[in-house]
Amino acid sequence: MRNPIGWASLTLFSLGFFAFIYAPLFVIIGYSFNSNPVNMMVWDHFTLDWYRGLFGLAREQLSGSVMPASGYVESTGHMLAALRNSLMVASITTVISTVIGTATAIALSRFRFRLKGFYSGFLMLPMMMPDIVLGIGLLIFFVTIGMQLSMLTIIIGHCTFLSSYVFIIVQARMAGLDPALEEASADLGASEWLTLRKVLLPQLAPGILGGALLAFVISMDDLVITYFVAGTDNTTLPVYIFGMIRRGVKPEINAIATLIILASVVIAAAGLWLRARKTD
Amino acid sequence: MCWRLRKLMTRQNLVLTTLLAPVTLFLGVFFLLPLVIIGLFSILSPGLYGGVEWSFYHWNYGRIFGWADGIDEIFEPIYLQILLRSLGFAAMTVVLSLLLCYPVAFWVSRLSPKTRLFFLFLVTLPFFSSLVVRLYAWLLILKPSGLLNSALMGIGVISQPLEILYTPAAVVLGMVYIMVPFMFLPLYSAVDNLDRALIEASMDLGANRIQTFFKVILPQTLPGIMGGAVIVFIPSVGNFIVPDLLGGARGLMIGNLVEQQFLSARNWPFGAALSMIIMSVVLLVLLSSLGRAKKAGV
Repeated sequence: MRNPIGWASLTLFSLGFFAFIYAPLFVIIGYSFNSNPVNMMVWDHFTLDWYRGLFGLAREQLSGSVMPASGYVESTGHMLAALRNSLMVASITTVISTVIGTATAIALSRFRFRLKGFYSGFLMLPMMMPDIVLGIGLLIFFVTIGMQLSMLTIIIGHCTFLSSYVFIIVQARMAGLDPALEEASADLGASEWLTLRKVLLPQLAPGILGGALLAFVISMDDLVITYFVAGTDNTTLPVYIFGMIRRGVKPEINAIATLIILASVVIAAAGLWLRARKTD
Repeated sequence: MCWRLRKLMTRQNLVLTTLLAPVTLFLGVFFLLPLVIIGLFSILSPGLYGGVEWSFYHWNYGRIFGWADGIDEIFEPIYLQILLRSLGFAAMTVVLSLLLCYPVAFWVSRLSPKTRLFFLFLVTLPFFSSLVVRLYAWLLILKPSGLLNSALMGIGVISQPLEILYTPAAVVLGMVYIMVPFMFLPLYSAVDNLDRALIEASMDLGANRIQTFFKVILPQTLPGIMGGAVIVFIPSVGNFIVPDLLGGARGLMIGNLVEQQFLSARNWPFGAALSMIIMSVVLLVLLSSLGRAKKAGV
């Protein structure tokens, strides 16, 4: 850019933009260490009490504490159960949607058939459909066929749209592959299945891994669909936190939120590191 | 020869069928069927204690547009207002996130490759972190005793806390905040693919910056703008988490109405009709953007 003043103001605006994105997250992290339990926006002094309370550790009764220690212990059990549910749902969802999405990507990239155009358009729909429509559609469907709302219904709900995400990622990887290798394998007498297993899948592995990682992350964070199809006994972590915030802002939420932010940074960094290593 | 070819064909068909069967069955049963059932429920009468009566009833739609039950009713525009408000909020979210992201996309595309990667990472990182947590942060910042009001009162700009939380402004702010990465990435790829020679040619031929922007840069990045707009508009219009956490009665959106019908009001057919409206808005936006893209392609 030729105009230095223009460039400087653009830089200033952009840095402001990144401050806008990140400041709220740092606000949470900061206040998760604030000992003021009454008004947590007023800084008192540094404390790890909210983290201790989160893990159900015996907590000295602070003067002015708004809640007895037993209250924290009870909510810790619920929170850990929600986290367990989230991990289980996300793991099973990841496996199922990765298999479905990968199979579909292979079919659409390596075969010619009449409904191909229809399929590639149709697979966009679950991603574009607002999650509230998908959520209540599944709720009515499960209730109508008399299926009990459970972990299974949550997993089904997640797979409907995450299969499409995996499909997109694996298909993008497919497009970069050289079909000559598969042709060579077929010419040398390998069956379709053998070619698929020994030639195609190893080359696709990075794409499949990327798709699976994305599916896991989105499943862990899904709120709306889970909210509708979870029923009363099965809460995932996002739904649990959503409920907690709705009932009122409490200092422990800051501690949970900080841990979630840290976990997501670690996952994103790991994903990036994997990608960087791949291109080496 | 012919026999071998046919055998090959059938074996290929078998592989293809096996590969396509899971997605066809799964999405057929758990995606298409639920959508059909929403459509069906939207024309049934509501049951007394939730659920439906299996009889035809078309006033669920009438209610959304102002006539709850037959022609004698007084026009009641509350639901129509909420629908229009949702469209307005979503449109505002698109415009604001576009205005925020466009200059930044430009800035990032002019950085050195290493720094560029770093800032792209910074844009995508929030996508990996929890949606509820990010909205909760704004709750902390905007509430009357929150950070923003404490800071403004501390430096003496205001003497009374501002009422930002539970207003339409808070809802739009929250939606812009969570949608920013989705607007940024398509914009960035459009800006990054700009033909710089054209910009220089335009400047050399005597066009000023404003002319160059509107005649050269904007038309070239239009596909990115349209893509970002669609990706942001669609999840915004049916959103109910943001208005639930940050909007009060004045920030209520159509998504909140749907949620209420299913979880507290227990009027399922009305909720289904509302969902059909959301779905038609989405399909309309998608089809028109596809039509535009096709026209541009030809």
